[in-house]
Formats: sequence, structure tokens, C-alpha cells
Amino acid sequence: MEMDAATELMPESKLKAHEVSVFYGEKQALFDVSLNINDKSVTSFIGPSGCGKSTFLRCFNRMNDVIPSCRVQGQIIMDEVNLNSPKVDPVLLRARVGMVFQKPNPFPKTVYENVAYGPRIHGLAANRQEMDFIVEDSLKKAGLWKEVSDRLNDQATGLSGGQQQRLCIARAIAVGPDVLLMDEPCSALDPIATSIIEELISDLQNRFTILIVTHSMQQAARVSKKTAYFHLGKLIEYGDTKEIFTRPQNEQTEAYISGKIG
Amino acid sequence: MTFLLSNVALLILTIIFGFVAYTLAHQRIRSHVARDGLKAHSLVKYYGVYAALWTLVPASVLALVWAFVADPLLINAAEARLRLAYPSLPPSFLDLKAAQLQNIAAGFIDAPDEIMAAEAAALKESMNRVDLARVLTLLTVMMIGFLFAFLRITPQLKARVAFEGFLRRSFFAAAVLAILTTIGIISSLLFEAYRFFSEISMIDFFFGTHWSPMVSLREGTEAAADEAVAGSSGSFGMVPVMLGTLLVALIAMLVAVPVGLFSAIYTADFAPRKVRNVIKPALEVLAGIPTVVYGYFAALTAAPFFRDAGVLVGLDVSSQSALAAGGVMGIMIIPFISSLSDDVISAVPQSLRDGALGLGSTRAETMLRVVLPSAFPGLVGAFLLAISRAVGETMIVVMAAGVAANLTINPLESVTTVTVQIVMLLTGDNEFDSVKTLSAFALGITLFVVTLALNIAALHVSRKLGQRYE
Amino acid sequence: MNDHHEIVSSSAGVAGLYNAPTSVRMAHIAAGLKKRRAASKRLRIYGIAAICTAVGFLCILLTTIISNGYTAFQQTEIAVTIDVPADEIVDANGAIDVEKSRNYNWDGLVKRSFRKAFPEVTGMLEQRSLGELLSANAGYDLRLQIEAAGVVPTGAVTYWVKSSDDVDMLMKGRMDRSIDEKKRRINDAQLVWFDSIVADDAIRLAFNSTFFNAADSREPESAGVLGAIVGSALALIVTVVLALPLAVMAAVYLEYFAPPGRLTDFIEVNVNNLAAVPSIVFGLLGLAVFLGFFGMPRSAPLVGGMVLALMTLPTIIIATRASIRAVPTSIRDAALGLGASPMQTALDHILPLAAPGILTGTIIGIAQALGETAPLIMIGMVAFIVDVPASFTDPATALPVQIYIWSDSAERAFYERSSLAIMVLLLFLISMNLAAVMLRRKFEKKW
Repeated sequence: MEMDAATELMPESKLKAHEVSVFYGEKQALFDVSLNINDKSVTSFIGPSGCGKSTFLRCFNRMNDVIPSCRVQGQIIMDEVNLNSPKVDPVLLRARVGMVFQKPNPFPKTVYENVAYGPRIHGLAANRQEMDFIVEDSLKKAGLWKEVSDRLNDQATGLSGGQQQRLCIARAIAVGPDVLLMDEPCSALDPIATSIIEELISDLQNRFTILIVTHSMQQAARVSKKTAYFHLGKLIEYGDTKEIFTRPQNEQTEAYISGKIG
Repeated sequence: MTFLLSNVALLILTIIFGFVAYTLAHQRIRSHVARDGLKAHSLVKYYGVYAALWTLVPASVLALVWAFVADPLLINAAEARLRLAYPSLPPSFLDLKAAQLQNIAAGFIDAPDEIMAAEAAALKESMNRVDLARVLTLLTVMMIGFLFAFLRITPQLKARVAFEGFLRRSFFAAAVLAILTTIGIISSLLFEAYRFFSEISMIDFFFGTHWSPMVSLREGTEAAADEAVAGSSGSFGMVPVMLGTLLVALIAMLVAVPVGLFSAIYTADFAPRKVRNVIKPALEVLAGIPTVVYGYFAALTAAPFFRDAGVLVGLDVSSQSALAAGGVMGIMIIPFISSLSDDVISAVPQSLRDGALGLGSTRAETMLRVVLPSAFPGLVGAFLLAISRAVGETMIVVMAAGVAANLTINPLESVTTVTVQIVMLLTGDNEFDSVKTLSAFALGITLFVVTLALNIAALHVSRKLGQRYE
Repeated sequence: MNDHHEIVSSSAGVAGLYNAPTSVRMAHIAAGLKKRRAASKRLRIYGIAAICTAVGFLCILLTTIISNGYTAFQQTEIAVTIDVPADEIVDANGAIDVEKSRNYNWDGLVKRSFRKAFPEVTGMLEQRSLGELLSANAGYDLRLQIEAAGVVPTGAVTYWVKSSDDVDMLMKGRMDRSIDEKKRRINDAQLVWFDSIVADDAIRLAFNSTFFNAADSREPESAGVLGAIVGSALALIVTVVLALPLAVMAAVYLEYFAPPGRLTDFIEVNVNNLAAVPSIVFGLLGLAVFLGFFGMPRSAPLVGGMVLALMTLPTIIIATRASIRAVPTSIRDAALGLGASPMQTALDHILPLAAPGILTGTIIGIAQALGETAPLIMIGMVAFIVDVPASFTDPATALPVQIYIWSDSAERAFYERSSLAIMVLLLFLISMNLAAVMLRRKFEKKW
């Protein structure tokens, strides 16, 4: 594989995307995107709606497979394995790369069962005690334990929006992934819940590699170390968050940042 | 029938009158406008319609009422006279005499004796007189209606508003018809059932375990004594009948639920779009086949098949087994369950599936652990509706199940169901009043209540349980 | 969905796999993957099996019907040479005297003529047995044929006379000749005669036109579905005439003019409930109210149509409401904005646009009504009617009821005709549903 300097495997790179293109039927949604994601840090994807950032995010856990007309070209490398190869089992992949969605989607089960779902299907707990431990640990890591420790057997749908989203985060963590993909996790939440989750994300980056898609530049600025700006399916600029927001190199980036477009 | 013949002539006459009314009103408003120089409130045609409606509608309503009420009244009067003329005849024979009288009056048969001949002549004459009275009354009513409308026609008259108000009220009446139908069902069933329960106690009916409705037509104590001796008294315990219904319904569900549910799982989430577009209509075809065809299949193919298969295996399978009837009924219900289940499963939000897949579930795990539990309330509702359908189904069981009530849960034996009994009791030469035929109405109202309860339960389960998951 | 996997040695204490290094965890998950994938495959197979079962049932059903019914397209006929004695039938001028014709023993003539071909058959019992090979209505058929022709042919003419239904079944290979004579409907002597007729080519299978232009009859070979079809048609005309306007009016009221409140809710609840009431209950309603209380004629298509109209009403109301709702509100707003009254808007603007959907729903409702049997049985359309009904109040039967009646009878020939009647019924239903689908496609507008 020929690689140019910009995408060479660096010691901290967890994920490497190399010329990734995505097609919905005949229509191309993503054009040859290449970038490196650093390990144990938060990277955000920003851009106006329809620019392909969610599509790109979904490449990392092969969720695009679910859409029948979708075709993904290019390579996504994690631990020297191309995730886009047909030999990689998506089930196995998703146990390493977890996802949190835009609208909180807890299962219609109890809080406990929601968190226990992942470990259960993958067989990660040998007995009840181990499962209890996993559930408690995940909820603690998601900052939700204190609020639900006495409500573990209540229906998850009874929680508030922000609590539900943290539950979804706990659910994803329970499987023990390395990477967490977050697709606009706060867009359906109120400001208080949003700030709680942003704080959580800052904590979580010590344990996980986090990719977050957000439509709020302020959020990207608050939360992430590196930012990628997308526009109409192309990666326009990628760099340290501080640089992107204060000294963008591309005039399109600058236009978006200053609100001229989007 | 006397009323039909003159009706046609009257109808034509009425239509002509309507046109006349329309035209006259048309002219009147025109002349008014020209004379007074004012602008009419509504378009000219509405004044014509206004007049036509006032001419036709009251008369039509009266004609309809007359048609339904007049003949029965006349016949009742004739029956009263017959009762006087033949004092010794029991009531059942009087009904026959009354029918005979109508036929004599209509000229279909000749009178057997002078009394009948005289009565028939009298009936015919009174019918003719009433007919004449009817024609005259209707004409008068039309006249009055027309004049009333005609005189009110001025440019200030809001003809269109009046017309639209009339339409709105008619629409309302049509909508209320739905309630009237329900009321009609309940009250007619209740009325007959009440007559039944005044002779047979409710305890005996609802909890009795012996169903054998053979009551002799002969009345009087001698007959009753004979019957007691012969042992053929009527017993109306409906437990075996209801049990038969439930047994057949259960067998039907055992066939339909696995096939229907798994079909739905496949078409909802596993099948490629093209396959789904072919399979769904194919299953709909099963739904469109009339139940009499299923009954034919059950009686002439399935039942002998099970009986012969039983012989091969060494089991004694009745030629009217609950298995055959229930099995074919199950086939009929398959599309019902698969279609409803598909709708319910497809209604589960994609976000739940995405959540499960994102955690690394396989498709089976997503379906069985997340989608189906989420769809559970709707599925239960669908199953309850299917049971309701099975309980109310008639033709398959009439043709393939038995007539004798048998208290058993063995599917290889013959059982009877509520619907079969209703049909058997009301077809055949039974007069309307005997306890036997009334028991059919008691069964009927039981059936109505049971299916209604199942339907309401289905609705509540889907809503209430669904809310828990919101 | 196995929850009990083996746990690799837990170096990290509780929740061994959870805290184990990634590679260990992944290996464990990978090991369990095969079973889980197999479960997915099994589920898929169950789904396909279920669908195949359902489709299989459909195929068996249709195959049974067709294989039993296709032979009913034909009716066996036997050639009989008959010399009709003109002087017993005609009047002084040579034209056919109906009175004389009615009184003449046609049946005897046919049977006598037939016996001439079998001079060896003597004895009353034997001769009667021979005569049973012909239809019991053979004489009646001949009489009608001669009367229709208007003139009696001179000399002997060979007529093709309908055979009895037993011979018909024999000819079509539907009778088992090998079983014991006592269990058969054709005895050994008759079999011999039958074989000789076949050898003489004096027997043929002709198109069963009787099936399509006659009403019911005691003899299968004289029975047809015309009476039932006309009865069904008359009933359905009544159904449409009553149900369509009332349903549309009710639907327009509920969509546009009903004030929100308990009465409206109650009406809607009733409409939805009535759609799920078993059909036999409607039959009971018809029996108790239309026949019992109003004294309407039993077995009449008018009453049948009224009962079916009550059953079809909810279906059409629901379909109409859906069609009305599908019309975009912008059209309604535009009309109102131009000064049309709500009634004018509904009638002149919305209804025409909703018409295709209403029509489709009506056709589907009528198709369902065509297949209904139980309520019609309740109001008496299950009698043995030998005349094709001529008015809405003549006693009649309906096609599905005719199928029911024939399925019940002992004669195998009725079984065969019942199957053919089912094919006719299914043909009607398929055409109606196709028409509805085509209508929907043709007029479907994508707003």
C-alpha cells in the first residue's frame, strides 16, 4: 500500500482513513477522505448539514452496511487491519467500536437490562455477580450510577432525555470498546444535559478514542483536541481544534467558522 | 308484492313532480329578481333545489315508513280475525294460515274453504283501499310541501344555506346509522335472548354441560310427558359448545401463529425489497379467499385426509374432527396474523435496531431480543384479534365440524361450535318462537359479547402496554 | 443466545473478561460468534419455511379446487335415436300444442327409444336399471328442445341426451369400478351396458352449457349457477346502492362536519367495532329485524343486499376517510379561501379528488361481500331455488351459498360442480381485485 506522508502510521494513531468514498446508489456522498485519528483523545467532525460527516462516522463501525444501497470504498485501518474488508466481521468490529446516536434510543427494558445487553450477547459475564459489576462500573463511568442505583429495575424509558443518553453511553461502554463513535449526541438534549455530557466526554477520553460529529462549533471547540471540517462530502481541513478555530488555513473553513455559510 | 308494482308508477310520478317543482321555483326567483331589482342570495339553481327537496323529501320519508308499516299492520289485523275464525288452532298454525291468506289474496293459490276465501277477499280489498289512501296522501303531502317552499321563495331566502343544512343533517344521519346498527344488533339479540331466558335459566345456559336442543313442536302437557318418557327433552347448557369453539380456535392459532409470525419476521426485516413486494401480495391472496371455499376444502379434502392418516397410524380420527376444521381455519388466519405482525414489527423505530446493531448484535439477536419484545404489545393485540376472528368464523366449521355437542379437548374428536349451532338452529323447519330457535339468539349475543370483549382487549393491550414502552 | 460462555482465567478479579486485555476479549467473542451467526441463519430459514408453508397451502388449495372442478366443464351425453310422434304433440294446424306437449310422457318416449338399442334387456327391473343411465330430466330437456324448435321433425332423429350424473362420473373416470358392487352407484349390468355404449361411440363429453345458463336442480346434470350468479348480482346491486352513498356521507360528516366531542367519538368507536363483528351476527340482525320485525320477504336479494350493506358500510367509511385525508389540505384551504362554503368544498373539490380511492375501497368491500355466506344463510337465501330470480324480491340464492349447498350433497357430480362454482367465484373476485388495483395505480397521484 502506497501511503503519503500525511497519513503514515504515527505512534498515537488509533484509526487511519485512506481515500474513503461512500456511494448511495449512483450518488456519491463522500469523496476520498483521508485522515488519522489519535488514540485516547476526542476528534470532532463539523460541517453544514448534508456534508457527509455522519456518513463518514458510520464507516468506522460498518453501520453503513445496514443501508442496502450503500457502497464504501477505500480503507479504514485499525491495528493494521482494514475494517472495510469483507473479511472483517461487523459483529466483532462493533464490540470494539461502539456508537451513541443522535436521539437517545434505550431499549424498552429496565435500566439494568439495557446496560447488560451488550455483555450478555457477547458472553462477557460468567455469572450474575460479574454482570452486576459490569453494569455498575459502566454506569459509574457514564456518570449515571448515583442517579439510577436505586432504579436499576425501572423501565429505561422513564428516565429524562439526558439520563437516557448517558444510559446509552453506559450501554456502549459495557462492551469494553476501544473507540466510541458519537453522532450528534447532544442535539436532542437541553443545555444542562448537554453540558453534563460534554463533561463526561472529557473524562472518557482518557479511556477511549472518541469521534464526535457535531453541528455546534462551540461544542467542538469545548470538547475536542482535533477537528475535521467537511463540506459537500469532501474533507476541507483537519487539524488541532485551536488552530482550526483561530487560524483556519482554508477559506471555506473560515467561511463556515465565521458563519458566512452553513 | 303489492307495494312494488304501484311503487314504480309512484316513483316516476314523484320524479316528474320534482322536476316541475324545480322549474316553477326557478321561474319564480327569476321573476322576483327581475321585478324587484334585488340580487338573490344564492345561485338560482339552489332555489329550484330547495323547492324540489321540500316537495320530494317529506313525501319520500312518508312513503318509506308506509311501506314498512302498512302491510304488517294489515296482516296483523287479518291474523286477529283469523284467530277469531279458527279459535281452536294453536298459534304456530295461525302463522301458516296467515301466510296462506297472503298467497290466496295475491292469487297464487286457491282458497281451501269459504272462511279463507272470504278473509282473503276482505284482505285484498282493504289492501287496495290502503293503497289508494297511500297514493292520495303522498300526492297531498307533495302538494303541501311544494306550496310551502314556493311561497317562501324570495331573493332574501338563503336557499343555498338551507340546502347545505339539509345535506349536513343527512350526512349526520348516515353517520348515526353506524350507532343504529350496533343498537339494532344488541337490542334485537337481547330481545330474543330475553325471551329465551324467560324459559331457560341463565345458570343452566351458561354453566350447563349438556347441549341437546331437541324440543318437540307439540305443545301441551301430553307432549311434555311423552318427551320425558322418551328422554328427548331439550337441554341448553352451552359449555360444550363454547369449549368446542375454543378448541377449534386454539388449533387454528397453533397453525397460524408460528407460520404467520415467522413470515412476518422474514418479510419485515430479512427479505430483500423485491421479495417482500412479491410475498406480501401473495399472502393477501390467501386472505381474499371466501371462507366457504376454505370450508369446502376442510370438509372434502382435509377431514378425509386426517381420517385416513389416522387410520394409517392407528388412531381413530373422526370424519368431522376439530383438527381438520381448526387446521383449515388456521390457514385462513395466517395472512391476518402475518399482515398485522408485519405492520407492528415494521413500526418499531429503526433507531432501536441501529442501537442493537451498533452494540454488535447479530440480526437474530436484534430481532429476538430487541424488536420483538418492543413489538410485543402490538403482537398480542394482533393475536387477540385473530382469536376473535376464529371464534366468529362460521362457514369452515359449519362444513367441517360436527353438530353434536361433545365435551372434550381431544382434537381428534368431533366437536361443535357456537356458530354451527346458530346456523343449525335457525335453518331448517323451525318456527320463530320455539325455545330452540331462541337459544340461537342467546348463543348469538354470547358470541357478540365475546368477540367484542376480545376486540376491546386487543385495542387496550396494544395501547396500554405500548405506552409503557414510550 | 447462549449466556454461559467459558471464562478465560480472570487475572483482574471480578468481571474477568470485562477487565481483560482487548485481544483476550476479542478472542472470546470471536469464539462464540459461530453459534450466534448460526442462530441468525436458522431464523432466516424459519422465516422462509413459514412463507413456503403458507404459499404451499395456497397452492394445495387451488390445485384441489381446479383438479376437482375442471371436469365439470363437460357433461356426458348419450346418443338416442328418437322418433317423436308428431300427432301426439301438434294441434290441428301442425304447430306445437303446448297443452298436449305438457301432458305427453316425454320421459317414457326417451327411455323407450333408448331401450331399442338394447333389445336383449327384458324385465321391468332390468329395463328400469337401463333407463337410469340417462338423466332423469332427459324427457323434460327433449320437450323443451322440441318446443323451442317449434316443429316436430319427421322420422327418427338422433338426439344427444344428458346421461345421469353417475354415468357422467363414470365417464370422467371419477368412479372407482373396482370396489364392491353393493358400494357402487353403478351396478355390474349397467357397467356392461355402459361399456357397449362407449364401444359404439354413442357417448360423448360435451360442453356443460347447462352449468352457465340454468339455476339449481335436483339432478346435478341439470343444475347450473346462473340463478346463484343473478341472485348475488341483485344483492350486490342493493348493497352498493345503499352502502356507497351512506358511507360517503358518513365519512364526509366525520371528517369535516363532526364537532369534536363524545358523540363523534362514540360514532367512530362504533364504526371501528362494526368492522370486526362476526358476519353471522349481521345475519342474526337481518333475521330478527328485517324478516321478523319488518316482515320482508325471506330469501330475497333485497334483504340479503341490505344485510351485506350494513356489513360493508364500515369498510367503505374507513376507505373513504383515508382517501379524503390523502387529499392535501392546501386544496381545501384554496377552495375555502375563494369563498366556497365548507359543503361546497367537500362536495365539489375534495370528493372528486378522493373518488379513485373511494371507488377502490368500494370495489374491495363489494368483493368481500360477494364471498359472504353466513349472513345470507341466516336470512334464508339457502333454499332450493330452481328459477333464476327476476326481481329483487324473488326468492334467490347467492353464489357462495350455492357452493355451500352443493358441497353438502351426496352426489359426486355436485362435488365436481361445486368446485367449478368456486372457480367461477374466484374468477369474479380476482377480476374485481385486479380492477381495484389497476384503478388505484391509474389514478394514484403523488401529491
